[in-house]
Amino acid sequence: MSTDESPPPGDDEERYRRLLDETEHDTELGLEMGRDAQRVSAGELSELEFYRRYHDRIVEEFDIDDREIDLPDPDEAEPDDVGFLDRIGSALEGIDPDGEESRRSVMKKGAAAAGAMAVGTWGSAQTAAGQDDGHGGGAGADEGDGTRWGMTINLNNCDGCLACMVACNQEHNLSRGANWMYVFAFEDEGQGDETNFLPRTCQHCTDSPCTKVCPVGARHTRSEDGLVLTDYDICIGCRYCEVSCPYGVNYFQWGEPDVPESEVDDAHQIDDRGRWVGSRPPEGVMGKCTFCVDRQDGQMGEEKIGTTACEEACAMDAIHFGDLNDSESPPNQHLREYREGQENDLSEFPNRKAHTASTFKLMEERGTEPNVRFVGNEPSPHAEQVEGPVAYEDMGLTDDRKEVLDEGASATQGGESA
Amino acid sequence: MSVDVSGVDRETLVRPIQTFSKRYLAALAVGLGLIGVWLAFYLQQLQHGLIVTNLSDWGSGGGVPWGLYIGAFIWWVGIAHGGIILSAAVRLLGMDTYQPVARLAELLTIAALTCAGLFILIHVGRPDRLVTSVVPAWPTRVQWSPLMWDVTVITAYFVLTATYLALTIRYDIHRLRDRLPNLLDPLYDVLMIGYSEKEDEVVERMVWWIAFAIIIMAPLLLHGGVIPWLFALLPSMAGWAGGVQGPSFLSIALTSAVSGIIIVAAAFRTAYGWEELIPDAVFRGLSQWLGFFSLIFLWLQLQQVITGIFAAPTTLQHATEVKIATPLYWVAIGLVALAMLYAFAASLRPELFSIRTMVALSVGVLAGTLAEKVLFVVEGLQHAHFALYDGVPGAYVPSPTELSALLGTIGIVVLFFLVVSKVIPVVELHAIEDDHEEVSP
Repeated sequence: MSTDESPPPGDDEERYRRLLDETEHDTELGLEMGRDAQRVSAGELSELEFYRRYHDRIVEEFDIDDREIDLPDPDEAEPDDVGFLDRIGSALEGIDPDGEESRRSVMKKGAAAAGAMAVGTWGSAQTAAGQDDGHGGGAGADEGDGTRWGMTINLNNCDGCLACMVACNQEHNLSRGANWMYVFAFEDEGQGDETNFLPRTCQHCTDSPCTKVCPVGARHTRSEDGLVLTDYDICIGCRYCEVSCPYGVNYFQWGEPDVPESEVDDAHQIDDRGRWVGSRPPEGVMGKCTFCVDRQDGQMGEEKIGTTACEEACAMDAIHFGDLNDSESPPNQHLREYREGQENDLSEFPNRKAHTASTFKLMEERGTEPNVRFVGNEPSPHAEQVEGPVAYEDMGLTDDRKEVLDEGASATQGGESA
Repeated sequence: MSVDVSGVDRETLVRPIQTFSKRYLAALAVGLGLIGVWLAFYLQQLQHGLIVTNLSDWGSGGGVPWGLYIGAFIWWVGIAHGGIILSAAVRLLGMDTYQPVARLAELLTIAALTCAGLFILIHVGRPDRLVTSVVPAWPTRVQWSPLMWDVTVITAYFVLTATYLALTIRYDIHRLRDRLPNLLDPLYDVLMIGYSEKEDEVVERMVWWIAFAIIIMAPLLLHGGVIPWLFALLPSMAGWAGGVQGPSFLSIALTSAVSGIIIVAAAFRTAYGWEELIPDAVFRGLSQWLGFFSLIFLWLQLQQVITGIFAAPTTLQHATEVKIATPLYWVAIGLVALAMLYAFAASLRPELFSIRTMVALSVGVLAGTLAEKVLFVVEGLQHAHFALYDGVPGAYVPSPTELSALLGTIGIVVLFFLVVSKVIPVVELHAIEDDHEEVSP
């Protein structure tokens, strides 16, 4: 089940009143905003008017108003609006720009505000038409409500060049051996010496064991798009998620990260809810593939939404990322085209399936409902990993992380990191 | 088989409090030394992070993320079972033979649970967040995370045991106050707040119910429940899943617990010349229980090995084959089997029995159960269902930092008994005075 904090929108005002009463924030403000947010989503109220109407009270209540809105160009804005921007500016000035923690805490406060505005929050007003139920949508269906990020990886196209691994490591500032994207080269029974490849990301499961077992709710499913993320501010580093995951996609930060905090931009780390879930984890905390959450939140530009670093780096057209609930998204489109290219002969046997393309999800029998689909042959239980055409070392990658960690373990004084 | 120790006087009972020896100092030095060694290593871990352990990531990382820390956590919780189950059995089932060691067993529960908790603390990457993250998350996570079930049940168990102990020592302190050190009067005053002899009868009924709760909770929910469920419920590792883990974990807990009590009881008997207070019969009885629990342990291991190798699914078969090819596994089984054989032999031929041998075998059993549990955790992680990772086989040998924690926790238990035995009588007054004194008007 999802662990996301926002209850679904609805009209049961009393229930929301009780929820809001439990927070330290202004109940009436929350309820009023909730009602108006619904008007915004119904088109009865403009976003700008909504912003104006509550800005002062939000700043008074939370010190900052970080609702996302496309503010009008200052030149065209009425004098009142300039006042708004000025006030936002002065509110932001109160925050120490160098104090990462303080910025983070303010952003978290913003998220708390969003949580407090439980009734149709600003966020859900923006996406009210397609809010996901927190389960990432129906697993089997390609059509569903809201966004459900996922992948189709065509193993027949993969040539084991490892470019995706390199791109992922660089973009997320990963420590040596923390291969959020990992490409297996393997040989299987009955296939002779033929080498197959299996690029393995986090499967961003709809029914993910890791979110179930997390004792503190740090590992959670983001309700807006089904991403399985780790809140680095909450994680206690018990590693139960890692132990419960059937895919081995988790990489703990055992020591100091190779890339220090000062070199990682906040935009890559804090998601649109104000939670610290992106880029590499700090020491003592769990990390794994985020499906490039910073890209999906538009932090790297509009054009990067719906893309991932590994997909971008793949020259073989093997990785296709997109919204699985959108039938026209790259993963669905690729799968459809691939299947159409391999139509089955139904002339004599009309009950055959329409295509002969082999597709699978990794260890689907574990009941995790993965959101990564593969085209190609699933490795059998007897498949064995072999050396691929490109060695991990040649690409500057570390395969066996334990080697790096052992160096760190034997070092008695600082300086070692992994 | 009942033992009458009612002839023993009160002086004997408070002997640990009233004497002070070089041997005591030596034991204190050993306890503190072990803790010191661990602290020195642990400071390194705090400074550099968990990288100072030999843990690593499973999967492409070629290691195990859980190791000795978790194995030792399970082990200490197992030892903690004995105390209160034994004590509750004395109270509920009238097994008076064990009354002289009941409180020692309760104290062992408190000490062992503390050590288990400590292993959680040192296992996590961010111990500073244990309160700030866990407490706020409890209401929404407790119905989901088996780890949260664990924390909940262990905390409840600790509170029940501590309450049980706190209630029962008031009776003794009240009657032995004149023999207790004046220096600690403020402490006794706190322990005795609001005491009147009229409460004895009420307390007696209260602790009966607490004992009742404990004897249900400990076997069914703790080592027969939440601890094995940490593993048995996961979809990831072939060697972990399955309903046999509950009974299997419980058998390990009970063998470890009885071994622990035998060792602690023998140590006090030797140190304070308590041959009369804790007679041979207590140890003979305990060793028979150890033999019986060992048999159950071995039988459940047999179940797992047979179902794992006959016509098992590929991954389970592989995990089981690796397990039975591990020499340390057979050392563990051998140590438990040896204790079982000796206990049964000594039942048939009483002249074979010696407390010294039984203590040595108990240490062996504890080593065996620790080894078995660490192997269970580590080998489980090394042989996942996702067999492609076998390309990077993980090797794991605990680092000095991890091993030092084991020593440190043993030191804590030693220190705990040394300190507590100077403060309260570690054998109940009931053991030497058949019934409650008549409540004086």
